[in-house]
Amino acid sequence: MARLTPRMKNWLTGLGGHIGTASKDGVPAVVVVDSAIADSDEELRFPLSEKQRAVVSPNLAENPRVAIGPGGIGSVRAAYQFKGNGRIVGEDLVVSVDEIYSTKPGPEAGLRLDVLPYEEVLAFESSRWRDDGPPR
Amino acid sequence: MRLGSEASKALRTVGGGGAVVYLTTSSRGGNPNTVGERFVALYKDEYILIAEMFAQKTRVNLNENPHGVITLAHPVKGRTWVFSGPATILQEGHAPDAKWEGIDVAETLAEWGDWATKEPPSEVPPDIRPPALVQRGVMALHVTSVTDFHPDRAGEPLLIR
Repeated sequence: MARLTPRMKNWLTGLGGHIGTASKDGVPAVVVVDSAIADSDEELRFPLSEKQRAVVSPNLAENPRVAIGPGGIGSVRAAYQFKGNGRIVGEDLVVSVDEIYSTKPGPEAGLRLDVLPYEEVLAFESSRWRDDGPPR
Repeated sequence: MRLGSEASKALRTVGGGGAVVYLTTSSRGGNPNTVGERFVALYKDEYILIAEMFAQKTRVNLNENPHGVITLAHPVKGRTWVFSGPATILQEGHAPDAKWEGIDVAETLAEWGDWATKEPPSEVPPDIRPPALVQRGVMALHVTSVTDFHPDRAGEPLLIR
């Protein structure tokens, strides 16, 4: 499991994300969700509409992998990609995050953050961004 | 599937730093990858081009599984659009007469292979601007399907003028 920082959780809970799924043979399908709930530092819950569940449920039924980019202005300001296993629980998509990447343009694009010591990830964030989440 | 001026305006520079989309690809075995992309344009009304600036996993994915999904990320302004279709990376070194999904690779690269010159990223705020716009090709998605990502209409087909 990967540990989300407060900044990561603030962006995801505030603005949701673009959630990519794939069939077991690699056909992608995406839903866009405008908020999330962080039940812990490792798990996110995205409320889905019935239509959204219909888009991703076939893929998730055969392949739990998901990839998430922060939504809205987070696509610019919160340059992360989160990967993990997703499952439909009730009306929600619950994702256990196990990989976190920087997608900041330049030499840190693709840098895997969750394998760094947590304090280093916090230092990485505070040295590169002034915000701790979306504008309130 | 032909798109029109509304799509072109949404995908091109719209002020305040330009449009941002997410490009989702997947490995052949089903490991998805979703990355934000800023240098985007509609090409010949049915292709979406993105500057390829060392998108490593996207390249690996497209080399083994040439499908892509593009979702409009910012600004959305009600344009809850999902573009899907075959996708690839066009790059110098191709055969002289190479074609992909009906477009001429050389012609496409001649027009969009040097994004920094064609559309300098002057609008992109300095703190999120790439340190150098180093481009090694163009990612191309041939739009064969447009659907809605609005929660109430997710997955429904759309016609965009």
